[in-house]
Amino acid sequence: MTDSILVVDRVTKRFAGHTAVDELSLEVPAGVIYGLLGPNGAGKTTTIRMIMNILLPDSGSVRLFGGGGTAREYAGRIGFLPEERGLYPKMRVLDVLTFLAEVKGLDRRVARAKSSDWLNRLGLEDWALHKVRDLSKGMQQKVQFIATMLHEPDLVLLDEPFGGLDPVNADMLLETVLDLKRRGKTILFSTHIMEQAEKLCDQLCIIARGKKLVDGSLAHVKETHGGRHVTVSFDGAQGNSAAVFADRRLVAKVQDFGPYAELELAQGADAQEILRALVGSGARLSRFELTAPSLHKIFVDLVGPDAVTAVAHEKGAPAHA
Amino acid sequence: MRKVLAVIRREFVERVRTRMFWVMALLGPVFFGALIFLPILMSRASGVKKVAVVDGTTDSTGAQVVTALVATRAVFPTRVPAGSGVVDSLTREVGAKRLDGFLILTDALVDSGKAEYRASNVSAFATNAAIEGTLSLVANAVRLERAGVNPRVVAASHIRIDMDTKKISGTRTTGENAAQSFSLAYFMAIILYMSILLYGVNVMSSVLEEKTTRIVEVLISSLRPFQLMLGKLLGVGAVSLFQFLIWGVSARALISQRAKLFGPDSMQDAGQVFQMPSVSLETAFVFIAYFLGGFLLYSSMYAAVGAISSSEQEARQAQQPVNFMLIISFMAMFAILNDPGSQLAVTLSLIPFSAPIAMPVRWAAGNLPWQEVALSLGILAVTIIGVTWVAARIYRVGILMTGKRPSMKEMIRWVRAG
Repeated sequence: MTDSILVVDRVTKRFAGHTAVDELSLEVPAGVIYGLLGPNGAGKTTTIRMIMNILLPDSGSVRLFGGGGTAREYAGRIGFLPEERGLYPKMRVLDVLTFLAEVKGLDRRVARAKSSDWLNRLGLEDWALHKVRDLSKGMQQKVQFIATMLHEPDLVLLDEPFGGLDPVNADMLLETVLDLKRRGKTILFSTHIMEQAEKLCDQLCIIARGKKLVDGSLAHVKETHGGRHVTVSFDGAQGNSAAVFADRRLVAKVQDFGPYAELELAQGADAQEILRALVGSGARLSRFELTAPSLHKIFVDLVGPDAVTAVAHEKGAPAHA
Repeated sequence: MRKVLAVIRREFVERVRTRMFWVMALLGPVFFGALIFLPILMSRASGVKKVAVVDGTTDSTGAQVVTALVATRAVFPTRVPAGSGVVDSLTREVGAKRLDGFLILTDALVDSGKAEYRASNVSAFATNAAIEGTLSLVANAVRLERAGVNPRVVAASHIRIDMDTKKISGTRTTGENAAQSFSLAYFMAIILYMSILLYGVNVMSSVLEEKTTRIVEVLISSLRPFQLMLGKLLGVGAVSLFQFLIWGVSARALISQRAKLFGPDSMQDAGQVFQMPSVSLETAFVFIAYFLGGFLLYSSMYAAVGAISSSEQEARQAQQPVNFMLIISFMAMFAILNDPGSQLAVTLSLIPFSAPIAMPVRWAAGNLPWQEVALSLGILAVTIIGVTWVAARIYRVGILMTGKRPSMKEMIRWVRAG
């Protein structure tokens, strides 16, 4: 694809005998919100660090804006929010923002003016001349987002942007990200919280243990990996519904929550047949709905319960995979 | 380059804005002055010593010694006739701190020049010197009189000598005397040592702050690690030069106004050991050149130390080897002053790690050919490039590393890796 703003081509990164990222390839088209999803320790942060040229891949390559050159050379066009947040605690808010924008290549006066604008926009104008350490955690996070977006980057990389956010700030961030997209920017963010990803992503990639499990548009992923699902709610009597759920010709998988259940249809099965069978079994239904599976479910199905074990074997190197 | 400039500006502005900087700027001279003058004042102001004189002489020599000691005003003597048990009871008095010490005199003083001084503190040089001088004076007088010299002639023969020393700088005799050279060397060594240490550690904490707050990841994605380190060194270096400028200007103002401020002879009283040296332009140049050299050399090492540590405590430990080199250079000052032309002094002023302190000290002591300064500066410059190169490689990997401090072997690998 020629309009891909970011191409990660079979990158591999090993730390002391443990492979954090294994032959991972991604392609992020311009103007989308791209979710990099995976459990803790899957290699999300390592991948983002390689994109940012903070870590060098052992093999494979990263291409930005369709050309050569590392993230550092495009610093002015990239906004980066690292997983571990930090600012200079003893500096004034306005000065920190100005400095971080200058380092990305902005002129000092422009940087200062834009910092003020953003502080106004996020209601922090009274804090501009306070030291960072005097701000609450929530306010510091806002300052950090401003630092990421201030220079109006074309590509924004957010590593676990919702981690540790209160609902108000989370909504604010959500709005900011959607606004960036409306203005034609590209956003890549990593998360292990699927609800957020579902709300935001156009495209996504799920990784576990450094390997890609699935990628593509949200709709595509749901179609190919979700299977067909039915949600059933009972109105009192459940009849002999258990027998229907156990029929592997109709139902591939079931999550029975008592008053309601989520079914995954077996291959070639017809939903109407299940409906008939349920009614025939004496169950009284208040709801029978064909649903697309939640991203959460796809994620859990794909990743499995044991995928979270790959964490923290890294020593002597940046520790967060 | 604009990015490096932003880093330099941040380091400079943030530091100059702190209260600490202005405290140092205003109180620094007071602090250095105290550091220099206090030991002298304290050694002098140890007070008049209470000393007993156990007089075992068979003539009036003991009495003469007591009279002469009173005149020194350094000791307050009490004559005690010798007898059995006197020494023991005086020893108890000293032990109980009612007495500082006692002097045992016998006829051996005049016959063979022997006397004994017992005291709780025998390293009080001023007291020892006063007693020894007095004893030698009295013994001489008695011996001369015994040889038949008229006592009046003996009294008239005493003359106090004040030796005036003048330094030869190049081929020209300057007005500067030994005391001034000494104090200049001392001043420069202390200020160089303190400043290189202070600003080097400043660079280290700055690196450490960026590392522990993790802001370094954002910076490194926009700047090369070397640009960041360079900006830090130059920024902190600029702060130190600004500090010196403030000190220089205020010192100049103070000296030119001192007559008005303290009265006309205040400077005579300030002490004979330490006198205001005249600071020539050449001296200022040597000082600044070696300060900058020393600062760049040491602070790039301190930057690497900051990069491999992940907490203040760790950094404090890891900085010890670097501190040690600096301390040795400072300690060597005394040996160098003793003989600025010795093999040791020349070697130390050429070794780049000790040169920043050793060479200015030799310079102050006098008569140093420019070629030697140039050679030492050249070696220093080459070393700075080498050390900075190595430090930058350690820095580059270290700042992004978390967890355990790397071993020597790992660091060598970092330096070797492209």
